[in-house]
Amino acid sequence: MTELLQLVVIGLSTGSAFALVGIGLVLVFRTTGIVNIAQGAFAVLGGLFMVALVDDLPGVVAGLVVVLIVGLVGSIVGFVAVGFRRRTTSVASLIITLGFALLISALSLLAFGDETHTYAAISAHAWELGGVLVQPQHVAVAGVTLASSVLLALGLQRTIAGQALVASGDSRRVAELVGIDPRAVAAIAFAVAAALAALGWVLMTPVDPVRWDSELRIVLNGFAAAAFGGLVSIRLAYLGGLTLGVAEQLVVGYGDAIPGIGDQARQYELAAALVIMLVLIGWRSRHEVHE
Amino acid sequence: MTGRRPAIARSAALLAATVFAVWLGYWLGPGDRSLYTLMGLYAIVAIGLSLLMGFAGQISLGHGAFYAIGAYTAGILTVGLDPDDRLIDPEAGIDPALAVIAAPLVTGVVAALIGVPLLRLRGHYLAFATLALNLILLAALYAQSGFTGGDDPGLSVVEPLEVFGWRISDVTGGTPRHAAVTWVLVLVTLLVASNLVGSRAGRALREIASSERGAAAAGIHVSAYKLRVFVLSAGLAGLAGALYVFLFGFLSPEAFGVILSFQFVVMVAVGGPGSIYGAVVGAVAITWLEYELSDLGTRPSLLGVDVPDQAPQVFSLGVFAVILIVVMLFFPRGLVPALGHALRRLTPSRRAAES
Repeated sequence: MTELLQLVVIGLSTGSAFALVGIGLVLVFRTTGIVNIAQGAFAVLGGLFMVALVDDLPGVVAGLVVVLIVGLVGSIVGFVAVGFRRRTTSVASLIITLGFALLISALSLLAFGDETHTYAAISAHAWELGGVLVQPQHVAVAGVTLASSVLLALGLQRTIAGQALVASGDSRRVAELVGIDPRAVAAIAFAVAAALAALGWVLMTPVDPVRWDSELRIVLNGFAAAAFGGLVSIRLAYLGGLTLGVAEQLVVGYGDAIPGIGDQARQYELAAALVIMLVLIGWRSRHEVHE
Repeated sequence: MTGRRPAIARSAALLAATVFAVWLGYWLGPGDRSLYTLMGLYAIVAIGLSLLMGFAGQISLGHGAFYAIGAYTAGILTVGLDPDDRLIDPEAGIDPALAVIAAPLVTGVVAALIGVPLLRLRGHYLAFATLALNLILLAALYAQSGFTGGDDPGLSVVEPLEVFGWRISDVTGGTPRHAAVTWVLVLVTLLVASNLVGSRAGRALREIASSERGAAAAGIHVSAYKLRVFVLSAGLAGLAGALYVFLFGFLSPEAFGVILSFQFVVMVAVGGPGSIYGAVVGAVAITWLEYELSDLGTRPSLLGVDVPDQAPQVFSLGVFAVILIVVMLFFPRGLVPALGHALRRLTPSRRAAES
């Protein structure tokens, strides 16, 4: 029982980080119709920059600087990826974000080398609750994710700027008619999404070291989380991330019992994510077809 | 776009292309010949991916995985399913020719399993599912090393590929016959693909690519067509993978990294999604570029600057990235068709003279 709870605690925190990435994907897709493959690369940049800055600056300041820088990178990617009116299709935009993902990987490999990077956690101390160890880092990730999801959902619903963003996603032409510039929308949406992903891995890196090629694993998990809500619901993406995180931890923890997998369970974490995603999407598609 | 040339002219052009492709296989030296064969194999994959991207409006980021599934299916069937039997019994597997036929079928089934739930939906779920398949497959190839050989010692397939006693590959690998057979298959694939494009199914697919809702309203079974293109496209990748086994006679997961899948996307982007001839040009150009880049990256120094160890990867990732961004931004219909347009504009005289 204690072991199960321990896995759930870890799963909730890694799941929160996936949720942050997924929420960014939802935000970008809802406002621009673009599926942003570079979202994982933004997370990796967040982690790597934090490792580079954390020794020279106080932790919180370093984190803020990193989030701002990656947000800026994100806005550039968004500005370019939206492309030209009537010429750039959604497939083309997706491929452009793939291009940026590869470019960021190449530059990270050049600058940070082939090793995994990490930095010391906020505090080495861990609370013990009924035999379950809870690290401050885990609590921080979960708390920050919950707070940013709520803020983002409220911001989109309750503010004029948020409504403008959503309206642009609903119909680009109508939004342009009332004076909303799709490039500005994309730049803002990508910037926020990139900042969220970076924030996630600024906090995650002490417990989940990053390497230049971690981006694919991260964006896949984020996408699986976002796919729970059909890429349009922030709330469902949040729940999706948590479910996914816990499910993957359970596969890793109890994987030994699955025949043919044994001690390689860790390598099948992603397989678990894909299978869960496929089953859920399959179930959703059945609904959509019958509607 | 292109006017209908008379059937005889087309057949003659095709025959000439076949003769040239076969002749090139015999004329080139061993090193260049392997590269030439590889270009042909990648061209087969690129034609399939181009059909998927241009006609189903879907993108696969896992065609390298389908290529790998084809390769490992053919390889493992040839050497024998049971790892213990392989070591003692050289006759443990099935006839390599049958293994090559089985590979695209297995690959097609895997694609169908993924495609059935995902292709009912609009949007780009397929892109992520195929990317996930790629990472999972890589993990499995390394982890199940008893079965696949892993990266050490890998999987050696020494049995030559023979059809009715006609030996295509040899223990040394990279034979002229292998190159010729590969390029004849490229031309067959081109022929099949261009017939598909011109057929009723092709018109349905073009309609789907321009508007899924419109196609559905016109009574086209959208998801069934998308699924068929996806399975065909994956099957072609599987076939190419199966032939790859007999090029070097050796398989290791390292050869099937995710970058290979991205490389296929670059080929199609350059060739123009939906342009099947462009896909062949894209495959040849990008394979050559990748070869030159890795050559450049392994030099000790470049322009007086020391080249770091990661240079080969950085070079190919960086160059592919820039190609993807620039081509999709400025030539979304592909670089090859854009160049074709430019050339035609430069030489307006012919059509004017004819009329």
